[in-house]
Amino acid sequence: MLFSYDWLQSFFKDKLPAPKKLAELLTLRSFEVEEVKRAGKDWALDINVTPDRGTDCLSHFGISRECSAFTKLKIKSPKSKVKENNKDNIKDFIQVEIKNNNDCPRYMGRIISGVKIGVSPKRIRERLRTCGLEPINNVVDAANYVMLELGQPLHAFDLGKISGKKIVVRRAKAGESIDALDDKKYKLDKKNLVIADSKKILAIAGIKGGKSAAIDENTKDIFIESANFEPVMVRLSSQGLKLKTDASVRFEHGADPNFAETALDSLAVLIEEVAGGKIIEGKIDIYPKKLLPKKLKLDLEKIESILGIKIGQKEVIRILNFLGLETKADLTVAVPTWRPDLAGNEDFAEETGRIYGYEKLKSVYPRLALIPAKKNDDILWEEKIKDFLKEAGFSETYGYSFISKRAGDAMEGKLVELENPFSEQFYYLRPNLLLNLYENAQYNSRNLNPEKMIKIFEIGNVFNKRKEGIMEKKMLSAIMAGENEESFYVLKGVVDSLFEKAGISDYYFDDYQATPEDGESNLWEAGERAEIKIGDREVGFLGKLNFPVFNKDRQTREVYALNIDFDALVRECNDESEYEPISKFPAAVRDVALLVPGETRVGEVLDVINAGESRHIRDVDLFDLYEGPELPEGKKNLAFHIIFQAKDRTLTGREIDSMMAKIIQQLEDNSGWEVRKTN
Amino acid sequence: MENLENIKNRAEKELVSAQNSEEIKKVFRKYLGKDGEITRILRSLKDIQEQKRKAVGKSANQIKQELEQKIEIKKKAISAVIEKGKSKKQMDISRPGHKISIGHIHPITKVKKEVEDIFERLGFSVVEGPEVETEWYNFDALNIPANHPARDMWDTFWLRQNESKVQNPKSKINTKSQRLLLRTHTSPVQVRYMEKHNPPLRIIVPGRTFRYEATDASHEINFYQAEGLMVDKEISAANLKAIMEKFFEMFFKQNVGIRLRPSFFPFTEPSFEVDVQCVVCKGKGCSVCSKRGWLEMAGAGMVHPQVFKSAGLNPREWQGFAFGMGLDRLAMMKYKIDDIRLLYKGDLRFLEQF
Repeated sequence: MLFSYDWLQSFFKDKLPAPKKLAELLTLRSFEVEEVKRAGKDWALDINVTPDRGTDCLSHFGISRECSAFTKLKIKSPKSKVKENNKDNIKDFIQVEIKNNNDCPRYMGRIISGVKIGVSPKRIRERLRTCGLEPINNVVDAANYVMLELGQPLHAFDLGKISGKKIVVRRAKAGESIDALDDKKYKLDKKNLVIADSKKILAIAGIKGGKSAAIDENTKDIFIESANFEPVMVRLSSQGLKLKTDASVRFEHGADPNFAETALDSLAVLIEEVAGGKIIEGKIDIYPKKLLPKKLKLDLEKIESILGIKIGQKEVIRILNFLGLETKADLTVAVPTWRPDLAGNEDFAEETGRIYGYEKLKSVYPRLALIPAKKNDDILWEEKIKDFLKEAGFSETYGYSFISKRAGDAMEGKLVELENPFSEQFYYLRPNLLLNLYENAQYNSRNLNPEKMIKIFEIGNVFNKRKEGIMEKKMLSAIMAGENEESFYVLKGVVDSLFEKAGISDYYFDDYQATPEDGESNLWEAGERAEIKIGDREVGFLGKLNFPVFNKDRQTREVYALNIDFDALVRECNDESEYEPISKFPAAVRDVALLVPGETRVGEVLDVINAGESRHIRDVDLFDLYEGPELPEGKKNLAFHIIFQAKDRTLTGREIDSMMAKIIQQLEDNSGWEVRKTN
Repeated sequence: MENLENIKNRAEKELVSAQNSEEIKKVFRKYLGKDGEITRILRSLKDIQEQKRKAVGKSANQIKQELEQKIEIKKKAISAVIEKGKSKKQMDISRPGHKISIGHIHPITKVKKEVEDIFERLGFSVVEGPEVETEWYNFDALNIPANHPARDMWDTFWLRQNESKVQNPKSKINTKSQRLLLRTHTSPVQVRYMEKHNPPLRIIVPGRTFRYEATDASHEINFYQAEGLMVDKEISAANLKAIMEKFFEMFFKQNVGIRLRPSFFPFTEPSFEVDVQCVVCKGKGCSVCSKRGWLEMAGAGMVHPQVFKSAGLNPREWQGFAFGMGLDRLAMMKYKIDDIRLLYKGDLRFLEQF
């Protein structure tokens, strides 16, 4: 909110610090001042009043009280003396009925007769402008002026336009509407409290006045209202109408009903001064349940223990007194009704600490038991795995947690929807990381050298709707896009090395089976996808995506992807490993090459090799795979290194020959498998 | 006969002072040549008494070998000096090396790790929480009641739901049927953690957070925070100041001034903004700190009694501080990134710089 420096100064006999200095002090003691700028001869201070202080500090008086506390300057009382004209009494002109006192805890009003509507004096116009308000006419300006000065929203009605000498404060009925002063028509319902007369609605209570009783150039007699409305009601009413005003903001924060009278009298006196007229004797005041100050016990020890500094009772009390809190000898503190935020000694600690000066706090290390920090395996593994992928040539990206409406609508699975989506582009919560990684690869491939292989990965949370509710889980996904026929096996190798690094050995690749609830089966290209399993649990997928990317030259590039349930992976990670003695006995390598039908899988051959003599086989390596015209139709050639080694002795040539013979025999037991050569 | 040890020392000394190959040859001839001193000793072994022969022979041979090695090394050293002067075909060292394809780690990951490391060294355990949160943990438990204007401080993404519950494998608490949202801060983890762990405690909670707000160079709809919490019997604001000071000093690798100034968060009382003296201009005022000399780096405060109550702890028994800072902002400060949106765009031309 914008504040006028002159106005703040007007509450003090003594001189306040210069505007910039004052702004700095406010920032360090009360509220952040965003900006200080010239406003004619005056200065405007843009002060961020925090929501807990909406009751007292959305006003010049409130901010002045803050200034008084930290400058130790005495502040003037805001009260005005009213001279009433006792020829008439307000009772003869108006009656007020409140339908529900919870909606309107206090309602006050006065009548001023014989005003002359015109332009406000220069001082008022200038101050309103400094605070960002446009002057309208002397009566309306006066109401705004007193609101800015004291924080109490006020409203002036043309008395002549109120029918039946009666004001009713009631909820609107469905179908009612109001032509408001902002030239808009609002449809009302029972959420909205209104000020009405016997025939029509005059204003939306606490939010906006209506045209039906608006002040105009012919207005002679006015009724001024200083009321208190229930904060939550005003907030819901304002939100429902999408209408936020200077008044509604103040009521939402909870205005002080006990301050309504001061504001009403100030306004009456000011109108009399700027628009003439006479203040009629008497005032409306419906206030069935008076709000009383809270009584709290000051606990100096607690205050000092929270702040970690010795301030002393005398200084604490001085500060609280300056802030308008009365203290008694037995350390009872009366918390005024304009400070609903103060509810305990923590709050007193804040009040004392900030006015005393937080810069006086010394840094003190806590005295604590020496408890070591707990290792967080999830995070440690996340970091290790990210580092591994980086070493493997993948770059980490951070995508949005949202996917577009277009991409989402094409998905089979149940997506998590937002009540208030940000835009069509950020519409659903991401059900996987792949969609955004793919978009990303597409984006990058347009910018980069067409030769470049794009390798990116992300670890992040994804969201899916299941019967049981919303499922949030952490995923690891990687994408390779570019020209490489072996991408599938490159990614498979990445998985092998990654799992080895993570100490996972009982994993394998299995045929793809759709998991319908993931709704991801249409992402993968049939025939080029595999499941990754640990034990018998599926933890992820590997394969070719159904959609390629285009590079700079408009050529398509296949996209291969890896998708792993990260939480499941981390549960299997293990960095405990045991040293296995290096065999002292030499290893022997034999090769075997065989022709097999094209559809035979390498895995089947490996299974056969390993089945027979596994005790002495240390490793089997596929070193060649060939399909070509020189081979018989529909066949492929596979060649393996088989490494033999015993732990307890040197294997003799004869032993190895006999093991090889057995392996060859077992291989050839399979129909269509033909061992071509061994050595 | 001269002691073998003396001969060795003499030979080594002469070798050290040899300046060129001619002089080295001289040393060789003198000791190891046909008529060299050591050669002579070896040759005369047969004349020595049987008992002594073995010992003398062994040490003479050893000295011979050592000396040969040293002469060889000296020769190489001398010839290298000579080579340097001569012109020889030189490998083109300006030719680029073979590129090893190594990927890159995202700047936020780097900063996050650094923050975690620093706080772990200060005894804080790293903890995480869910991104989809209930209204209770994100607001009510943190003393932010519904329909209070304080809620306006957090523009929230709400999830559309039909009476469904959150399933989070990491949380065993069966949350009441509550409206779901994307957490607007990492603070809910304060309550989640204190429900399950009794003080004393020290945690740091990094994580992704969300705000429904217009994006610009310094605002994104998703971003990262790190939340800290320390609870014990007598934790004070002065302790908070010390920990914040230490953290920023370690993070920026320089002495930094910090200041606390009043602020408002419903879940802390008192509440502070933590300002760090601008690390670019050292407080003089520059474009990075908008001429203020200070950078707003964290929000903090003493845990509000209501938050202890929400977590089932007795606020009369415990005191603590909490703080929260933006990891994006730290990354932007550290790498001089001027637009937060670059962090989520996935542009390799950007990512490959880290």
